[in-house]
Amino acid sequence: MDLLGQLVNIKFYLLGSYPKGDVGGLLLNIIMALMALGLSFGAGALLGYSRLSCRLYIKIPSMAIVETVRATPLIMIIFWIYFFLPYIFGGNVTLFWSAVVSLAIYAAAYQSEIVRAGIIAVPRGQLEAALSTGMSRYKAMMYVILPQAFRIMLPSFVSFFVSLFKDTSTVFIIGIIELTQAGIIISQREPDKIYAAYVSMGIGFWCVSFAISRVARRLEERIGVFDLESIRPDACRDEFMLLPREKKTGEGMTPAACEPEDSK
Amino acid sequence: MIKFIATNKWFKDRHVLKNINLEIAKGEVIVICGPSGAGKSTLIRTINKLEPIDDGEIIVDGMYLSDPKTDLTLLRAEIGMVFQHFNLYPHKSAIKNITLAPRKVRGLSKNQATDRAEKLLDKVGLIHRRDAFPVQLSGGEQQRVAIARSLAMEPKIMLFDEPTSALDPELINEVLDVMTSLAKEGMTMVVVTHEIGFAQKVADRVVFMDDGEILEEGTPPDIFVNPRHQRTKEFMSSVFHIPIFDANQEED
Ligand SMILES: Nc1ncnc2c1ncn2[C@@H]1O[C@H](COP(=O)(O)OP(=O)(O)OP(=O)(O)O)[C@@H](O)[C@H]1O
Ligand SMILES: [Mg+2]
Repeated sequence: MDLLGQLVNIKFYLLGSYPKGDVGGLLLNIIMALMALGLSFGAGALLGYSRLSCRLYIKIPSMAIVETVRATPLIMIIFWIYFFLPYIFGGNVTLFWSAVVSLAIYAAAYQSEIVRAGIIAVPRGQLEAALSTGMSRYKAMMYVILPQAFRIMLPSFVSFFVSLFKDTSTVFIIGIIELTQAGIIISQREPDKIYAAYVSMGIGFWCVSFAISRVARRLEERIGVFDLESIRPDACRDEFMLLPREKKTGEGMTPAACEPEDSK
Repeated sequence: MIKFIATNKWFKDRHVLKNINLEIAKGEVIVICGPSGAGKSTLIRTINKLEPIDDGEIIVDGMYLSDPKTDLTLLRAEIGMVFQHFNLYPHKSAIKNITLAPRKVRGLSKNQATDRAEKLLDKVGLIHRRDAFPVQLSGGEQQRVAIARSLAMEPKIMLFDEPTSALDPELINEVLDVMTSLAKEGMTMVVVTHEIGFAQKVADRVVFMDDGEILEEGTPPDIFVNPRHQRTKEFMSSVFHIPIFDANQEED
């Protein structure tokens, strides 16, 4: 009942004090995630790509950047940017930009690893095949290597985006009224219904995360990710389970679990 | 058409091509054989400069490979290459595998490239598999598509590096048949293979390599039946199960 009671606050959960004040709530989480992704995509791809270089003066700087960021908790990055950005750009950096820049830096480092792993996973023979038909290195990358790398990357990219979206909640710490902060404010207004506020926040994050992975699956099927089986949430492999076998099937790798019962 | 002049290559301190001298005429079919690690793949890959050489010169259709000004894309557009593991583009259908390079390198229109690709698919007997993706094709079918992909650039030379050694025995012949008809049409071919039947039927010359060197070269009977070097004899008997049959001894 308390949970249904939270419907009164739904506008605050979803939009913050918009349109009277700034956009907030869940919409702000979505906006921050998308902007961080947009800002970091190019940098992340470039960092991942240059880390593959054998030239140390290209490889080492990108490696240093990526490893430093990855070794730092997101919350530290948020604080650093929050305190240092005003030094560089003067006092007029808004909370919003400070949050988006922190998330973008964090996202760039993780994306670079996804890009690097994706490119490196394309078999060597593919480049040789492309070059041997007379393609330049650039054409081979554009038409043969990157399209394959992209398909390999897509599943990890999607799960990264879902985590990035959830990580946007961390910026509540500098006082941005996104979904978490909105929920905290509501729970403080009505301390007796505190659990209802926290469950509502959870539902909000869940819905958007679920929607992202659904949309992503469509996309993955459309562009033909090679290993569709592995991203199918309903895929099952009973033969890997170290449990007594349920059905009378062989020890082999038969797709036993998903087959109908014997017709004997 | 192809000329190796005192070519040497090292991988670190390993001398993998030792003073190679070899001349291959237009329309000739050369089979290269020899034990694993002899440098056969390295040799064939130097012809389109997938492997650069350290010393000497290779001249392919008038282009000097050690000259840094040689345009590698022009060179490679004239040389088709077929690999042991096919290396088809897994994200493209058979027909798109074939049309990619003609469109992007030769600048053919989509229709021109598709027409050409369909003719080639027909030639390798796979027109009915036109829209299949590589994962849906058998090894033999994949290799035939790979051959068609190379031919679509209308190359002057075709290189084959063990094109059938990743195939099940019953699929080997379909690939060798395509290669045989290609040879009959007068294509210049350099083939690394241990398919003795193919070599005897199609090769103009057989080159035997061992430990980075060309140990001997000659007509198929010269090399298979009547080799001069003990090393060649041993290899032939072990790989081809040809009994060591010494013609010289018989003449004695
Ligand atoms: N990229 C490389 N780096 C270092 N050494 C290499 C490289 N490629 C080949 N070699 C070495 O060069 C030698 C010749 O190799 P190559 O692949 O040409 O032999 P091959 O005759 O084709 O053998 P196989 O029948 O096994 O294919 C081998 O000793 C191999 O270990
Ligand atoms: Mg080899």
